[in-house]
Amino acid sequence: MAQKADLFQGTLDMLVLRVLSRGELHGWGITNKLEQLSKSALQVDEGSLYPALYRMEEKGWIEAEWKMTENNRRAKYYSLTRAGRKQLEVAQDSWDRMTAIIAQVMHST
Amino acid sequence: MTPFRRLARRLRHLFRRRQTEAEMREEMSFHLEQRAADYAADGLPAEEARYAAQRRFGNAGSLQERARETWGWGWLERAFKDFRLAWRQLAGNPGFTLLAIVTLALGIGANTAMFSILDGILFKPLPYPDSAQLERIYRATPQTNLGNLSPAGVADFLRVKRTYADAAAYTIGESSLSEPGHPAEMVSTIRVTANLLVLLGLPPQLGRDFRPEEAAPGRDRVVLLSHRIWLGRFGGAPGIIGRTIRIDGEPHEVIGVLPEALNDGRHLGGIDFYRPLAFSQEQRADRTSTTYRILLRRFPGHSRTEVAGIVAGFGARQAAAFPAVNAESTWRTVALLDTIFDSNGATMLSMLIGLSALVLLIACSNLANLLLARTMARAREFAVRSALGASRTQLLRPLVAESLLLALAGGVCAILIAFWFRDYMTARSTDDNGAQIVFVLGWRVFAWTFGASLATALAFGLAPALYALRLDLNQTLKSGGRGTTGGRGHQRFRHVLIIGQFAVAMVLLAGAGIFIRGLYELNNRRAGWTSEHLVTGTLLLPAGHYADTEKITAFHRLALQRLAALPGVASVSLSSFTPFFAWTDIRKFIVEGQERPKPGHEPAAAVNGVSPGYFDTFGTRVLAGRGFDEHDTAASPKVFLLGESTARALFGRENPLGRRLAIADGASPRWGEIVGIVKSVEPAVAEPNPVFNQVYQPLAQEPRPQTEIAVRMTGAIPVSLEASIRTTMAELDPDLPVRNLKAADAAIVRANYRFAVLRDMLSAMALLGLGLASLGIYGIIARTMAQRAGEFAIRLALGASIENVTRLVLASGVKLALIGSTLGLLGAFGLSRLLAATITGIHLDGTAVLAGTTLLLVAVALIACWLPARRAGRVDAMSVLRAE
Repeated sequence: MAQKADLFQGTLDMLVLRVLSRGELHGWGITNKLEQLSKSALQVDEGSLYPALYRMEEKGWIEAEWKMTENNRRAKYYSLTRAGRKQLEVAQDSWDRMTAIIAQVMHST
Repeated sequence: MTPFRRLARRLRHLFRRRQTEAEMREEMSFHLEQRAADYAADGLPAEEARYAAQRRFGNAGSLQERARETWGWGWLERAFKDFRLAWRQLAGNPGFTLLAIVTLALGIGANTAMFSILDGILFKPLPYPDSAQLERIYRATPQTNLGNLSPAGVADFLRVKRTYADAAAYTIGESSLSEPGHPAEMVSTIRVTANLLVLLGLPPQLGRDFRPEEAAPGRDRVVLLSHRIWLGRFGGAPGIIGRTIRIDGEPHEVIGVLPEALNDGRHLGGIDFYRPLAFSQEQRADRTSTTYRILLRRFPGHSRTEVAGIVAGFGARQAAAFPAVNAESTWRTVALLDTIFDSNGATMLSMLIGLSALVLLIACSNLANLLLARTMARAREFAVRSALGASRTQLLRPLVAESLLLALAGGVCAILIAFWFRDYMTARSTDDNGAQIVFVLGWRVFAWTFGASLATALAFGLAPALYALRLDLNQTLKSGGRGTTGGRGHQRFRHVLIIGQFAVAMVLLAGAGIFIRGLYELNNRRAGWTSEHLVTGTLLLPAGHYADTEKITAFHRLALQRLAALPGVASVSLSSFTPFFAWTDIRKFIVEGQERPKPGHEPAAAVNGVSPGYFDTFGTRVLAGRGFDEHDTAASPKVFLLGESTARALFGRENPLGRRLAIADGASPRWGEIVGIVKSVEPAVAEPNPVFNQVYQPLAQEPRPQTEIAVRMTGAIPVSLEASIRTTMAELDPDLPVRNLKAADAAIVRANYRFAVLRDMLSAMALLGLGLASLGIYGIIARTMAQRAGEFAIRLALGASIENVTRLVLASGVKLALIGSTLGLLGAFGLSRLLAATITGIHLDGTAVLAGTTLLLVAVALIACWLPARRAGRVDAMSVLRAE
């Protein structure tokens, strides 16, 4: 297993938006997807996903709908709104800029 | 999301909370199940798989908490919880709660009541549109800076073309109103220039305004009615327009009814009949009588100082043109709102406000002590909660909620007190003609009340709490079951409270006491005259029937004869003034054989025209020479009497009898001989600008239509006397009103009734302050003593006698009381000096009151200490020590 890393403050939102940008998912699905994409390297209480989801729903970045899963269980599916898409771009941009700057500083001689 | 949709969503969360919460739980448990299923698939037993899933998920409860925060109602829920907690705390402690609310209500209530007066008088604008543009002109002389103007001066001023302001003149007086079937009445009337109502901005609500051509003698028999008299006396019927009523013995046509707003007690509210001001030919030349007033409305763009300068310039030109009467006069303007009060009134109002603030301060200090005691008792609870991880904010929130609840309850009670006070004031301020000062309790008053109670409750509720939270956690916990006795700082805080209460109570009691004593003296001042068995009233001869002085004198002689013939009458008199009210006829005079000052700079005297019998009737002793008699008539040589102090000031040791003096009012002096000296008199009303010199002349040598009638009985005043006086006068002339006919003592009390209201308010405040302070002082000392019970027990166990302990307690309490009283004494002394310097006409001698107050407070301190001291002495040493 790769070394685990704590999540930067505020990056969870960005990651969730990113995951949802490929299509609607319920909370459990988002957790799975994150795990899969990060190769299980992210260290985070799984539950903290939910307050983040509610917060983003509150901000209008995502919207939710109750649907049936393939196993015929009721689950709340989240999908990206237009505002969410825009937010993802903004977050991605600033993240890229930030990492570039940090990399530049860290690797300078 | 639009704000609207966000709000709708939040409200949905609030009102369908159960559903949202269920959904949240469902979503999370779905997650947990899936994760547990994953683990189970990896081979863990079902039970462990579930635990593992939960571990990985984190604290579901706190996550849900965080989620709720997201929906934005967390604060409301927390506040709700805080208030519930606070409510439980308060309800569980009814004694404390009641005491706190009552203390707050009394303190704030007294303050609100005073604020409602201030608001009703000074903050509420006058009823006229743009009333800030209105100014009144006064004539300042060496005697007064609130003098009125002469008809000639007014006429000159109105003739000048003005580009800076509009001007209107008026004069207020009394007239007789007689209608068939009613006894004649004396009513307040005003004569106004035709433009006054336009200038004020309040045209008649019914009928029409005056026309300019009605401002001429002969054409001025039209009248406008006040709203109050129209409703009260004429039944509010619109048919009143065009009716004829009899004023001063002549028919007048009612042409309109004024709006209710004009009945504002602060300006022209007491006046019921408006008539046009028509200057006769003689009046246009009259520069000596001073009963006319001018109102200005500044044009926009002209500042107060600019207008004041122009008016002062006009006054200076008058002084230069007519030095004989105006040499010492200047004209000044005052904003209309500032004319409501003379300087005495302003001082008294500020004193009321200040003293009510002291009452509030005492209440606050009681509250602080109460809350401190409570917080101390709960210090352990706070320490435990804080040890368990509660933050300062979390500890403080319920305390703030408690303070808010107390403030709310106290504020509501204070408003009730204010309502009661308003009714009391309305009842007490009823004037003779039914005019009342009604203080409307509006939003300003309510805002003040709740602002004050909030500030008080928060400041005095939170200060002890913050203080308690500063206490060392460890110490508090370690002090074990004993509860906290409080450290040195805490003890010092109590001492400051005691000292402060004594100091504030001292100032409050002394301030109120000095004034109450002064008012008592005023009402009972019988300086140079007596009032037993004496009935007085005001008589006004209608101008229509008594055009010339012979007619007036003839009537006076007849009236005196008839009144003297009534059974039981010892003596009767008619005079311009009674000795117990102010003499407002101020004249300049010169003395023969003494150097004559420059014209206009002569000394001034208050002149009273009196009939024979005046000095017997009022009990003023004739010290030398003779009084006036039947032989002093218009035809006989002019004669004067002087007050004792005037005679001494003018002539020193020389004999004034036989010397001559003259009234100098611009015309050629009319010399008269001084035939007697009488005792100096002082009125029983607070006169802001008393005139030192007192000169008497025979009424018959300068008759006037309005006189004071005085009847002295040989014994007690029979009930029927007033009726028989009225009948006697009505038989002489049915148009003749007698006003304010009542016992002299009653008239004096009535004249000072505003002071009586003031005295009652001050007494109430002093009692309230004393009660609260006594309670507070007792409470603080008792609590301090209770906390030192352990110490006393040890002392007793070590062999101290009961007397020793009692003395210790008494000494510490009395020491604080003395320090506080001494500080208060300094303040009270300053206050008494300030009052004596600013309030004129009332003798305010503070020494006795200050001494009495000090004794009273020390007595309070002794009692407050003695009770706990007795208990301390009786402490059962063993049981106290065992209890530790």
